Amino acid sequence: MTLIRIIKFAFQNIARNVWLSVITVSMLVMTLLTVNILLTLNVLANTAVESVEERIDVTVYFKDGTNPDLVAGAQASLIGLSQVRDAVRIAPEEALARFRARHEDDEAILSALDEVGENPFSYSLVVSARDASDFPTILSALENPSFAEFIEQKDFEDYEEVIGSISRVTQSVRWLGAVLAAVFLFISILIVINTVRVAIYIYREEISIMRLVGASSAFIRTPFWLEAVIYSLVATFITAGIAYPVLVSLERYADTFFYPANAGVLDFYLANGLLIFGLEFLILAVVNILSASLAMRRYLKV
Amino acid sequence: MIKLKNVHKIYPPDIVGVRGINLHVEPGEFISIVGQSGTGKSTLAKLLFAEERPSKGQIVIGGWDISNIRPREVPLLRRQIGVVFQDFKLLQKKTVFENTAFALEVAGVRPSRIREIVPQVLRIVGLDDKLHRYPLQLSGGERQRAAIARSLVHRPKILVADEPTGNLDAINAREIIDLLKKINSFGTTVVLVTHNREIVNGLRQRVVMLSNGEVASDVEHGRYKLA
Ligand SMILES: Nc1ncnc2c1ncn2[C@@H]1O[C@H](COP(=O)(O)OP(=O)(O)O)[C@@H](O)[C@H]1O
Ligand SMILES: [Mg+2]
Repeated sequence: MTLIRIIKFAFQNIARNVWLSVITVSMLVMTLLTVNILLTLNVLANTAVESVEERIDVTVYFKDGTNPDLVAGAQASLIGLSQVRDAVRIAPEEALARFRARHEDDEAILSALDEVGENPFSYSLVVSARDASDFPTILSALENPSFAEFIEQKDFEDYEEVIGSISRVTQSVRWLGAVLAAVFLFISILIVINTVRVAIYIYREEISIMRLVGASSAFIRTPFWLEAVIYSLVATFITAGIAYPVLVSLERYADTFFYPANAGVLDFYLANGLLIFGLEFLILAVVNILSASLAMRRYLKV
Repeated sequence: MIKLKNVHKIYPPDIVGVRGINLHVEPGEFISIVGQSGTGKSTLAKLLFAEERPSKGQIVIGGWDISNIRPREVPLLRRQIGVVFQDFKLLQKKTVFENTAFALEVAGVRPSRIREIVPQVLRIVGLDDKLHRYPLQLSGGERQRAAIARSLVHRPKILVADEPTGNLDAINAREIIDLLKKINSFGTTVVLVTHNREIVNGLRQRVVMLSNGEVASDVEHGRYKLA
């Protein structure tokens, strides 16, 4: 019975200053959105690094006329390494076909190729690593004396650079976002304190009469705590409501970037959304309860 | 029922509220506290329902020493002492019924019990035909009756009334005093703070006169003489 009355008082508090409640919830939503943007960004950065890492490979060109069996042996020994994700052997005919396909619009190159007459390509191996940091190991494995002398050339792009710049950018955006979230949280705390202060002011007569007729301090305070929790809950729901369609369209857009992989943002939220929003609600509720307590300690003489 | 031993109340920094008050009030007594403005009558009343704490001395209510009562125990005391003020302290947005019920609601009383008690006390104060009026739709005397009804819902052993007739004309004032007498006749100890001489003289009950925060006189069947 008492609980119902307390809940009633809490909702009255909210209803009696609707505008302040709207402002409060908006600020809380802003804070939560910032936190979720940060999270999304993190997921995107991870996906980006992964997709770059997946593309990392070394192409090893063997000398003309190298025995195919030797190439196959080299391939097998590379695949045996734990750092190697895959090693694909490309025969001269296939290399030629690929080359032609890539340059099908370029008459000059194709005619130069016809000029040469015979297939200028030799065997090659495309070796991909599991991780960018595995490269030195793979390169040193290629020094293996049993086939090193047949290798004409090793070709690889410096992806470390790309990964480095991705993480530099995300790092600074992460910082900026964290600072922004902290600022928003601070403003939220001030706004919640003010909202509770105003509610106490609006209710000052009721509160003084409550005290006079023997209401316990808990009975008087609980509606304000509950008010803080309700704000947190509503803000969390609104944030989730905004986040879902945004994530869906972000995923659709970002997927074209990461094709054939997907950006993983939506999957991440579908898998962890309950935990993420649950945790965000809990933290927000605790912060807001503390803010309300602060306001009551300052403005409610019970 | 009420025992004060050498009670002092000094408001910071050094404003004297009351000093050296000794007072015993028996159960069922009707006692009037009189004196000029600023002599500590309200301070004395506030000490009784723990709105203020004594700076010195001891206050015992019904065997309970409330001199250093803890904040969390104050609600229990308030449910045993009814309080009534000059300005009624009714909520304008609530009806007579709701104002009266409010005191029970905040104490966690069941709705069915509230529907039982509220009409009873409103009948005692003679407002049973105005349950659903708002305070603004009532006369001053009726407002004070509503306030008294609210103070009675917990069946208090003590009723403290601080200038309950201060805002009322003579006729309404007399009716309120009659109501207090009626409540007293049910066995409730009544502490009436007033500076209305006519009322006190009409009561022919115990009168304690305060002067500069001290008890100047304390007489049975007293009359209020100008000190
Ligand atoms: N909360 C307070 N703070 C400081 N001084 C107060 C306070 N309440 C009352 N006083 C002072 O205490 C004295 C007694 O006041 P009060 O008990 O209200 O007198 P009365 O009710 O007889 O008019 C007065 O001098 C008044 O100014
Ligand atoms: Mg007074």
